[in-house]
Amino acid sequence: MSVTRVLVANRGEIAVRIIKACQSLGIETVAAVSEADRDSLAAKRANRVVCIGPARSSDSYLQVGALIAGAQGTGCDALHPGYGFLSERAALPEACTKHNIVFVGPSADNITKMGDKLEARRIAQSSGVPIVPGSDHAKNAREAGALAKKIGYPILLKASAGGGGRGIKLVSNATEMEATFSTAAAEARAAFGDDTLYMERYVGNARHIEVQVLGDHYGNVIHLGERDCSLQRRHQKIIEEAPAYALAPAVRERICAAAATLARSIGYCNAGTVEFLYDNDSSEFFFLEMNTRIQVEHPVTEMITGVDLVAQQLLIAGGQALPYKQSDLKLHGHAIECRINAESPRQGFRPCPGRITEWQPPSGAGVRLDSHCYPNYVVPPYYDSLLAKLIVRGEDRLQAIERIRNALATFRVEGIDTGIPFLQFIIDDPDYRGGKINTRWLEKKLEEYSASYAVG
Amino acid sequence: MELSEDDVLHILKLIDESKFDYFQLEVGELKITVSKGDPIPVSAAPQNVSVSQTPSPAPAQAPQVTQAAVASAPQKEAPKPVVIPEGHVSINASMVGIFYVAPEPGKPPFVTVGAAVKEDTTVGLIEVMKVFSAVSAGVKGVVTEVLAQNGQLVEYGQPLFLVKPS
Repeated sequence: MSVTRVLVANRGEIAVRIIKACQSLGIETVAAVSEADRDSLAAKRANRVVCIGPARSSDSYLQVGALIAGAQGTGCDALHPGYGFLSERAALPEACTKHNIVFVGPSADNITKMGDKLEARRIAQSSGVPIVPGSDHAKNAREAGALAKKIGYPILLKASAGGGGRGIKLVSNATEMEATFSTAAAEARAAFGDDTLYMERYVGNARHIEVQVLGDHYGNVIHLGERDCSLQRRHQKIIEEAPAYALAPAVRERICAAAATLARSIGYCNAGTVEFLYDNDSSEFFFLEMNTRIQVEHPVTEMITGVDLVAQQLLIAGGQALPYKQSDLKLHGHAIECRINAESPRQGFRPCPGRITEWQPPSGAGVRLDSHCYPNYVVPPYYDSLLAKLIVRGEDRLQAIERIRNALATFRVEGIDTGIPFLQFIIDDPDYRGGKINTRWLEKKLEEYSASYAVG
Repeated sequence: MELSEDDVLHILKLIDESKFDYFQLEVGELKITVSKGDPIPVSAAPQNVSVSQTPSPAPAQAPQVTQAAVASAPQKEAPKPVVIPEGHVSINASMVGIFYVAPEPGKPPFVTVGAAVKEDTTVGLIEVMKVFSAVSAGVKGVVTEVLAQNGQLVEYGQPLFLVKPS
C-alpha cells in the first residue's frame, strides 16, 4: 500500500520538514493546524489545511479523534506524527490502523514496548545489550535502600513511565533515600499516572551518545551511525553532532551494532533512535532508552550519510523495503546542529514569543536551515520555543565548528530574543572545541554565562 | 500554562508595538483584553465573541483560499471563506469532524432557514470517530443561511449557519 496523501499531524519546523519530504516523493500533504497555526509556514506549503482545534495543544495536536477526523475528511491515506505531541503514544497508530490510515512510524507494539522504560531495560538485557548497572522495580524506600547499597551510591531513581530526561532524581547517599524515594514516587504518579521506580548507577563523567536506526516491514534493520548529544540544558539538547568525536573505532562499531540488535529484537519498523550513556572514564557504554519517532536532531545524521530519513519513513510506511544494506552506508565529514530557540539567554532563558521583524538566516557551503519562521511571523506563546535548527557539515569537526561559528555570526533575527548569543559563547569555548565535555559541562558553562551578565 | 507578571508586561509591550487596535488573550482562567485609541463600539467586537470566543473567521481563513487555488489535486477542497453580513453572526463548528444537519438519515433537519433558535437549540451534529456531539446555536435569533453541507468535513471554527440575532 503506497502513500499518496499525508496528514501532517504536527507543527513548527518538523511540519515543514515532513511536507518537504512528501513533495520530494510526489506525495500530497494536508497540514493539520490549530487555530493559532493557520498562518504557519506549514499551512502555506501544504496542498491543503485543516483546522483541528483551538490553540491549546491538549484540544488540538493532542486529540487523536480530531486528527483521525481531519485525515479521513480530507482523504488522507497516511498520517505523520512528527516528534513530541502524540508521536510516541500507541493510541495514535492503533486509531490509524482501525481507520485504514497508514501511520508513518513504528507499530503500536514497538511504541508500547519501548515506552515502558523498565520493560525496555529488560528487553535490552535479554538481547545482550549492556544496561547501566541498576535494579528492576524498587517497590519501596527500604527495598530501594538495600538495592542501592549493592549498586553503589550515587544512584538515579527513575520513573518507568518517564523518559526524555523526565522523572529522574539523584540520590547521593543512603540518608537521602527515604525522602527522595517518596517524592520521586509522588511526582511520577502525578506526571505519568504510574509510580513504578527503578534505579541506575549514576555516571558522573558521561556523554550522551545515540544511534539512528531504520527498520522495514521485512525484518531488515540498519544503523546510520551515532550522534553525540551531550550538550543539554535542563535535559533539553541544544547542540548535537555526528559522528561522536573521539570515540575509539571499536567502541563505535559495538555501540552501533548494539542499537541495531535491540531494534531487530523487537521487530522494529521505521525510524528510531537508541540512546546510550557513554562513560568517558571507562569507555563503557550502556543502553538508556529508545525513542520510537523521528528526532529533532535527525539532520546531523542526514548530513553525513546523505540519507533523507523522513523520506525513508514515508517509503517504509508505504511498504517498501530498505534500499540500503549496512555496507552501502558511508559516513562523510562531520555535522553540527544548533537549536535556535525563542528565548532570552540574558534573562534566565525566559521564553520569548512575539513578532519576528527581521529574519535573515545564514547560507553558504555546507549550511542547512530547518525552520518554519519567516519575516513578520508571530511566534505563538502556546508551544515549544524552537525556531530553527542550524546545521552545518564540514570535512572534519574543526571545519564544521568554523562553519557553524560563521553561520551563527551572520544569523540576523530582530523583534524577539534568541539563544544565538549563548550558542556562540559555547562554540567559542576552548573545552568545547577540544571535545573535553560531558553531560554536566553545559550546566557549568551556564553558571559562568549568567554570572558574566549578573555583574553588569 | 501560567503567566507571570513579567509575561503579562511582555505581552502588553508586544501589543503596544503591534498594529492591533483590539486584542484579547485567554490563557486558562486568565483573560486579558486590551484596546488602543478609541474604545471599540460595544456592538461591533463582541458579536462574534458571544457566539464562539474566536475572532471573525473570515480573515483567518484567507490563506486557505490561495491554497485551494494552488493545490494540485485534493479531491475534497477547503471550505470557501464566509463573509458574515452586517447584523449577522455565525454558528461555528466546535470541533473538526463530519457535520450532520439531521439526527439521523431520512429525518428532517434540526433547523432550516427561517427557524427561530435559542442559545441551547441543537442545530446539528459533528461526528468524530463514531462519537456524535451536538452543536448548540449559542445565540438567540433566526437562521438566515445554512453554510455547511450535510455529511461533509467541517473544520474547527468553520461557520455552519448564519443567524440574525434577536
